[in-house]
Amino acid sequence: MASISTSIPLIRFQSNSFKLTNKFKRQILATGLDFRPEIRLLNCNFSYFNKKYRKKERDFVFRVCCSSSEDSDNKFVGNEVEKEKDIVELEKPVGKLQETVDSIAPILFGMKKHISTNVAVGLCLAIAFVVISIREYLIRKSRSNHHGSVEDLVKRGQLRSDRRGISRPLKYDDPFNNPLVKVSKSNSTVEMCGKVYRLAPVTLTEREQSNHQKRRSRAYQWKRPTIFLKEGDSIPPDVDPDTVRWIPANHPFATTVNDIDEDLAQSNVYQKRGVPFRIKAEHEALQKKLETLQNEQKLSKLVIDPGSVKDFERPFKSFSSHETQDGNDSTPKPDGSVNSSESTTSFDELQKP
Amino acid sequence: MISLQLHTINPNSSSLKTSSFPISTSSHYFNSKSLKPHFKSTPYNTSTIVSVLQWNRKPQLAGETPRVVVITSGKGGVGKTTTTANVGLSLARLGFSVVAIDADVGLRNLDLLLGLENRVNYTAVEVLNGDCRLDQALVRDKRWSNFELLCISKPRSKLPLGFGGKALIWLVDALKSRQEGSPDFIIIDCPAGIDAGFITAITPANEAVLVTTPDITSLRDADRVTGLLECDGIKDIKMIVNRVRTDLIRGEDMMSVLDVQEMLGLALLGVIPEDSEVIRSTNRGYPLVLNKPPTLAGLAFEQAAWRLVEQDSMKAVMIEEEPKKRGFFSFFGG
Ligand SMILES: Nc1ncnc2c1ncn2[C@@H]1O[C@H](COP(=O)(O)OP(=O)(O)OP(=O)(O)O)[C@@H](O)[C@H]1O
Ligand SMILES: [Mg+2]
Repeated sequence: MASISTSIPLIRFQSNSFKLTNKFKRQILATGLDFRPEIRLLNCNFSYFNKKYRKKERDFVFRVCCSSSEDSDNKFVGNEVEKEKDIVELEKPVGKLQETVDSIAPILFGMKKHISTNVAVGLCLAIAFVVISIREYLIRKSRSNHHGSVEDLVKRGQLRSDRRGISRPLKYDDPFNNPLVKVSKSNSTVEMCGKVYRLAPVTLTEREQSNHQKRRSRAYQWKRPTIFLKEGDSIPPDVDPDTVRWIPANHPFATTVNDIDEDLAQSNVYQKRGVPFRIKAEHEALQKKLETLQNEQKLSKLVIDPGSVKDFERPFKSFSSHETQDGNDSTPKPDGSVNSSESTTSFDELQKP
Repeated sequence: MISLQLHTINPNSSSLKTSSFPISTSSHYFNSKSLKPHFKSTPYNTSTIVSVLQWNRKPQLAGETPRVVVITSGKGGVGKTTTTANVGLSLARLGFSVVAIDADVGLRNLDLLLGLENRVNYTAVEVLNGDCRLDQALVRDKRWSNFELLCISKPRSKLPLGFGGKALIWLVDALKSRQEGSPDFIIIDCPAGIDAGFITAITPANEAVLVTTPDITSLRDADRVTGLLECDGIKDIKMIVNRVRTDLIRGEDMMSVLDVQEMLGLALLGVIPEDSEVIRSTNRGYPLVLNKPPTLAGLAFEQAAWRLVEQDSMKAVMIEEEPKKRGFFSFFGG
């Protein structure tokens, strides 16, 4: 019953609110719907409440739209009552009830004391609505503002659509709680990728886990080898034989011979910038060769100017090159690739005549 | 057969780390990245049962970084490399920086699974020899720039074992102290077997993921390897059961995941179903977890990665497929 009668003010507003913009109408409908449960609760003096509520709504409409005077308000109300009567006649089953509603109506119209509170409520609702609509607008705007995204690169064929993932906001998608994973209410089944599976809880306890650990520590006693030796080698004096791992001499993937010593390998790994050790060594060897050649042929005029060499090598300088370089400043030792190509060209020129 | 972490079963006791997840920090983190402004920072509701997209949830990294995780199995061909590639890329997709080290000397194929085979010019062996610097040997994935691959050696070269596992420890140390910051995860793809390659690969690790299939041969090797890892002081060992077929379990032709757990006594990190998409993704060089829409195995890998981040384990497993309940009018085509 209650729901039928409350639907009437909604109808009325739809027919009457020609002055309202779409948005306002929507807002009113929304508030009307919000009130519905309350009305159902107050079943006893339902008709009274209904009128009061209706009046509240109307006041709100007028404050928002044109802030009309009181008498126009009343006229408007009269109009509405008539219209409502028409509606009531159409709806026979609720006719009786609506008649009582209308008979109480004029009494209620005299109650002006609610108006001040109604103004406040209306104002609050209006402000809230304006804020909400502005927020909505801003969100829509930012959402549609996607020009120049990676999507465009895909459209232009610069990026393969299946090879990109970086721009997907799926980044923080919870894999336990996404649309493809649905757990049933009883937690006994789960639906994944369209298939339903039965679930069983994991029963492993801490004690079982530690029992397994104990069993394993009895079964497998092991000390991780820390040194690898080729089969046939002798064990170094300070090494615990238990920690030696013997590698067959013909092991397909492993070798125990290192052409580089441990400290150097470590510093190679830790090197952050500069020319890698091996490359530098090769350049230095080449440079040495060139120098000896130059000394032999006594062509001192074609020696590269040491000053310019210094300029080139600065960016390539690294910690290990300093020791070799500090001793003899007089002889140039370029180690950059630019220098080496330059020196080889000069070397070619030397050979020509 | 994929399992879920059921927040719904017992939100308080199921996993402390998950339920005590600080919402404010996560949403703050999220907002600072500001992917989409309209996400509401609603609290992570542990009591919801129907699935809702939780855009603001990000797994909370537990433990000290870098987390050095070795992925091992004992038996060959059970899916270590597949797991490394998929879990690694899932982690990268969740926003963590990841360095995957292919320690499978001689039989390396992680680069193939990732589709990076053409970009591996230098390996760790060249770094040790001084042919290049470490940063030159790291191959950065173009799809996820916080994912990097480091191969130990070229297919035809031999790994110099003279330093034992020290070389890997140096590599991890150097990664820790590099300029752009230490990676969150260093994942090591271990070779099969328990000889020199295995010993080298586990040296820098402080946790392990044991990959096994639900068959007795793989399980025996897994038990052995777990014993060795425990002897070596790696206590945090979780297992991933791979290639599970629900149709075979129902017919009692295959051990169920709970049987496997009964035998090994290890916490479950994930259960991966047998999925033909795995092979297809290998052929493409495009890990499964990047597939859209995700497949069963992809979802399972993603969940395993999620648990790895939070140092969590599974609380319930999927046992068998159930015929989907059809509505009364379903025979009309509904
Ligand atoms: N869940 C799965 N479903 C179907 N096929 C799978 C699955 N997991 C792995 N495979 C297949 O198993 C094969 C071996 O996988 P993978 O290379 O990852 O194993 P591995 O343990 O790294 O092997 P190895 O010991 O040689 O390094 C691959 O061909 C892969 O496609
Ligand atoms: Mg492999």
